[in-house]
Amino acid sequence: MTELTFSKIDQTVLDTLRPASGRYWLVVFLLALGIMIGASCWLYQIFTGIGVAGMNIPVAWGTYLINFVFWVGIAHSGTLISAILHLFRAGWRNPIARAAETMTVFAVCTAGLFPFIHLGRVWLVYYMLPIPTQRTLWPNFQSPLMFDVVAISTYLTVSSLFWYTGMLPDLARIRDTAEGVRKKIFTALSLGWTGEHEQWRHYTRIYLFFAALATPLVISVHSVVSWDFALGIVPGWHTTIFAPYFVAGAIHSGLAMVLTLMIPLRKIFSYEKIITVHVLESVAKTIIFTGLIVGFAYGTEYFIAWYSHNMVEMDTFSWRATGDYAYGFWIMVVCNTMVPLLFFFKKIRTSIAWLFGISIIVNIGMWFERFVIIIGSVGHDFLPNAWGLYAPTLVEMGIMLGSFSLFFFLFVLFVKHLPSVSMTEMKESVAEGEGHGH
Amino acid sequence: MATKYVMGLFKQEDQAVAAIGELKESAWPLHRTHSPIPSHKISTALGLKDSRVGWFTLCGGILGFFTGFALAIFTALRWELIVSGKPVVALVPFIIVGFEFTILFAIFGNLIGMLVLSRLSRPENLENYDPRCSGELFGILSSCSDEEKEGLSTLFARNGGETREFE
Repeated sequence: MTELTFSKIDQTVLDTLRPASGRYWLVVFLLALGIMIGASCWLYQIFTGIGVAGMNIPVAWGTYLINFVFWVGIAHSGTLISAILHLFRAGWRNPIARAAETMTVFAVCTAGLFPFIHLGRVWLVYYMLPIPTQRTLWPNFQSPLMFDVVAISTYLTVSSLFWYTGMLPDLARIRDTAEGVRKKIFTALSLGWTGEHEQWRHYTRIYLFFAALATPLVISVHSVVSWDFALGIVPGWHTTIFAPYFVAGAIHSGLAMVLTLMIPLRKIFSYEKIITVHVLESVAKTIIFTGLIVGFAYGTEYFIAWYSHNMVEMDTFSWRATGDYAYGFWIMVVCNTMVPLLFFFKKIRTSIAWLFGISIIVNIGMWFERFVIIIGSVGHDFLPNAWGLYAPTLVEMGIMLGSFSLFFFLFVLFVKHLPSVSMTEMKESVAEGEGHGH
Repeated sequence: MATKYVMGLFKQEDQAVAAIGELKESAWPLHRTHSPIPSHKISTALGLKDSRVGWFTLCGGILGFFTGFALAIFTALRWELIVSGKPVVALVPFIIVGFEFTILFAIFGNLIGMLVLSRLSRPENLENYDPRCSGELFGILSSCSDEEKEGLSTLFARNGGETREFE
């Protein structure tokens, strides 16, 4: 940190916005190809019917809902880092806050596609909007699915505005160093920001309010997502632990995704002096904490099932660990609760290769957690004659590939066209001397 | 007598704060300051009060709370269907809608508050502005007559700053 100066920070970040190499555009092209595959699969589903997906009675919620919950979860740590850690004045968040916020916005966009995809007849999506139509039929806000529409659209709006507002001083910096058309674009985007004392006076206050309002919002959003399940009477879902369990899991997966994105970003853009090992180590320590909460939630679910002496509940949980999808359950347990414990060793949590590897493992584990929760309950509920199995079809796999491609495509475009590290917050860290590197 | 706009540019926050103090005691006006980061020291030196943007946020939040509830009640009453034995106007589930709208409208109020109070998007914001102020320098804009230009420059230089003149 002591080596950093205001101009070095600007130079490092502005250098990332220089014209990209051929390799960069190749990556963009490959990701665009992935999106095209996903879009083609979705089009095929629209023209053929939802039956091309592997979902059927009793498993009517498959990978579309798994991916929806997965991406909403990924979105959560962006707000944790930018809002909650801002309120706690955690200095180590500054170098990664911008990229994490960006991750939030793109993850919510990706998640938001899945209800549309899952809907089948996507052209009827306006049924969910409270608008007057000739049907005189209005949405019923007693439904947790309608809570979801309100919560996710609020979250997308708030996180996008938070992201953009936080970027204003940096957009002004780019405007002041750019020329030609680029200068005109950034002049419009920066809204006349000049760092005048009146602007800072109001900006610092609204940023604080943004953080203070985004904090309860982020907790409410994944709680609402959890109630999509918990308000149903399906065994394995109908439990009061779901809201905190989902929120902890969301932050767990989101932090892992932060590492997955930050480590290559740090290497490619030579951010080593800004995103120090100490920053990555702090994320790893938080992952230990969230991993322990998630592990505790897994254990509590089993305890509740046993303590209730509810035969259906006990059988569902027994089946999860020993039945047809036991592999998913054990992937979930090992990847989310055991592997992160390796971060207790300083040597591992300060090794870039280990950090990256474990972050990928946690991402896989968290995807399987949603698989186990969703399929593991509807596939094996009250009546043995209604039990059934599920496997995703190629169409669902294609759409899933498309969703991952879309997320990384947007992120890759972002890092070359907008500042991926907040220059202003880094300068504040330097000015305050509360180095994340010390 | 033509008025010259003169900006003192400082590398250190403390230098800018000292110059503000001296400028306030002089006859020259202090039009505005610019800085690459928010500065409590500069705010204190300028004697700025807390921002009132919170009132916009609060009004937005209150409006959102009632809007959320009103929307949920209105849609329920348009189709008076009893679901799961719950009353048509079921306040407990509507708290969630009310809560989300509270946050959403509070954020809108927050943003409108900043746009209005800090007067962003005005073309004149970029007049008499040095682009280095978004990078590494702290700027203080003052004005004087041609004859006093040297005196003002000396004030800035005494505090470690360089001077830039605007036409």
